[in-house]
Amino acid sequence: MTASPSQLTSRPWLGKVSAALVLGFTASVALTGLYSLLSGVKDPFFDARGQIAMWMMAPLWSGFLSFCFFFRTGLRAWARLFAVNLILWSAFVALRFIQG
Amino acid sequence: MAIRTDIIRVYKDVHGWVGICSGIALFIAFYAGALTMFEDVIQRWASPPPALAAAPSLERSPELIAKVLEAHPEAARSFDVHVALGPEQPARLSWTVGDAEHGPASTFYASLDTDGALQVAEQGPSGVAQWIDVLHQQVGLPFPHEIAMPIMGVVALLYAMALVSGVIILLPSLIKDLFAVRIGRNVKRMWLDIHNVLGLFSLPFHIVMALSAIVFAFHDQFYMAQGAVAPPPAREARAGGSPAPEARAALSPAEIVARLQRQAPGFEPLTLGFQKGPRGESVRVTGRDTRYPMRGATFGVAVVDPYSGAIKSSDYMPGLQSAGFAVLSSFFALHFGNFGGPLVQWSYFLLGLGGAFLFYTGNLLWIESRRRRERKAGPVAQSRSTRVLAGLTVCSSLGCVAGISVTLAAAKILPLFGAATTGWHQILYYAPFLAMTAWAVHRGAARSSAPLMRAAALACLAVPAASALALIGIGWNHGGATWWIDITAVAGAVLLFYLAPRAAQRAAAAPKDSVWSAEASAQAA
Repeated sequence: MTASPSQLTSRPWLGKVSAALVLGFTASVALTGLYSLLSGVKDPFFDARGQIAMWMMAPLWSGFLSFCFFFRTGLRAWARLFAVNLILWSAFVALRFIQG
Repeated sequence: MAIRTDIIRVYKDVHGWVGICSGIALFIAFYAGALTMFEDVIQRWASPPPALAAAPSLERSPELIAKVLEAHPEAARSFDVHVALGPEQPARLSWTVGDAEHGPASTFYASLDTDGALQVAEQGPSGVAQWIDVLHQQVGLPFPHEIAMPIMGVVALLYAMALVSGVIILLPSLIKDLFAVRIGRNVKRMWLDIHNVLGLFSLPFHIVMALSAIVFAFHDQFYMAQGAVAPPPAREARAGGSPAPEARAALSPAEIVARLQRQAPGFEPLTLGFQKGPRGESVRVTGRDTRYPMRGATFGVAVVDPYSGAIKSSDYMPGLQSAGFAVLSSFFALHFGNFGGPLVQWSYFLLGLGGAFLFYTGNLLWIESRRRRERKAGPVAQSRSTRVLAGLTVCSSLGCVAGISVTLAAAKILPLFGAATTGWHQILYYAPFLAMTAWAVHRGAARSSAPLMRAAALACLAVPAASALALIGIGWNHGGATWWIDITAVAGAVLLFYLAPRAAQRAAAAPKDSVWSAEASAQAA
């Protein structure tokens, strides 16, 4: 059974999963970091919003892991998630800079 | 709903592999977790009548505190005064030496005898309930906490992936399959229908469990990663201890309870934790208010000033939290099922057992479809790995059921030998678990499942049998809610005895190339 090139297969799973494991994690940290900056978290442990930001890691990271199989190849998964990280972290750094 | 078939195919693979990698661990976590819904009742069932003299009243506790601190000054750093007493918490005062989480810790219990002299004992309530809880948290792994928790976290991530992929592959046939459980000749179809219905209807419960388990496993790592990039916290002075302790007289425990009840009428204090730290003194009051979701497994926490009785921090206090902390408490409460009383407890118990069954059926389906694929590829004999996996699935599940029953029943017998320690409870869980699993892998799933079901049923019966020993003067029964432990164990045994002949029938009737065929297992062994 050979799939046409436009069809998804589960063969290149290692590349996709490793991309979601590493870059999905860093993207989740960036997203929760943006939330923390925007909602004005002062202390990650004792502030309720700081703890909520920590909880948000679970759905985000497992979301990346669950949906990474939609990338066609492992290489594409790494490239796309790298771009996502670049955008999110640029936004994070810019926002931190603006907020002083 | 239409989804491209190649996507369905990919997610079927994903669902199968993440399921088979996490299924056995999840079965153990859910079975043990269902039991922890009644952790305090189990602890009462398993705890011997207290050896100490009857506890002094809460009003007399200042005398007890003074005598303990005189004889054991090391207790001053941190000790607990218990408001609610029972066999599961027999002493008015206790303190722990050593770090409970990261090393050997010993807890001491104190009382006053009739002459008012101090009594101290190290023999406290049974540790078996706590051990079942640890088994649940560590998905059955016999490793130190620091090693077991990240592995549990990986299992939880696989579990989350299994939920997403399971929903994706079910979506196209959702309407058709939703209420259909086709019981009949096609056994695989029946198992698949049961798996789908069970999974779909308990999906919200499973989403809650998967996400909270990921957080419980990785919160340190998450905080660390977030803290590394966050701006340095603008720290205000946290609600610390009260300064200048000698200027004012500390309140008595009874007075603290009275003042707390005036401030929070629905909050039922269970334990007052007196702590002396570098920032001064504070009292950490754990208590219950079942009208609200609670942060702890069975309790919320109020931090109280020991000199004025005023609540200093209600962040973790049911009903008095800010909106943000209430949201967080609801995450915890949805995992622990600690709101709404017995109805929710029993629902969670059944959902937990249902979850365990979901993973069991999932593994069976994986093994069946693997058999079909292997048959297509040529060889009719079962591959060794499929046979081993079938044995592992069936019998680690039954081994877990049997092991927990044996170690629980032992709680009433171990004190006879002066061996009521967590170490013995661990041995008495892992011994039947490993023995049954090894035997099953050796003999094959088909030939071992029926005998092992009967063995697990007998293990369940050991629980009421241990209670019955009280009739001949061995052990104890505390009555009340603890009878439910014995009743539930009998119900479990009846169910397993009922299923055993059916498993035997299946082994006799299954196609010869199936792992469920007794004949095939006999040839392979």
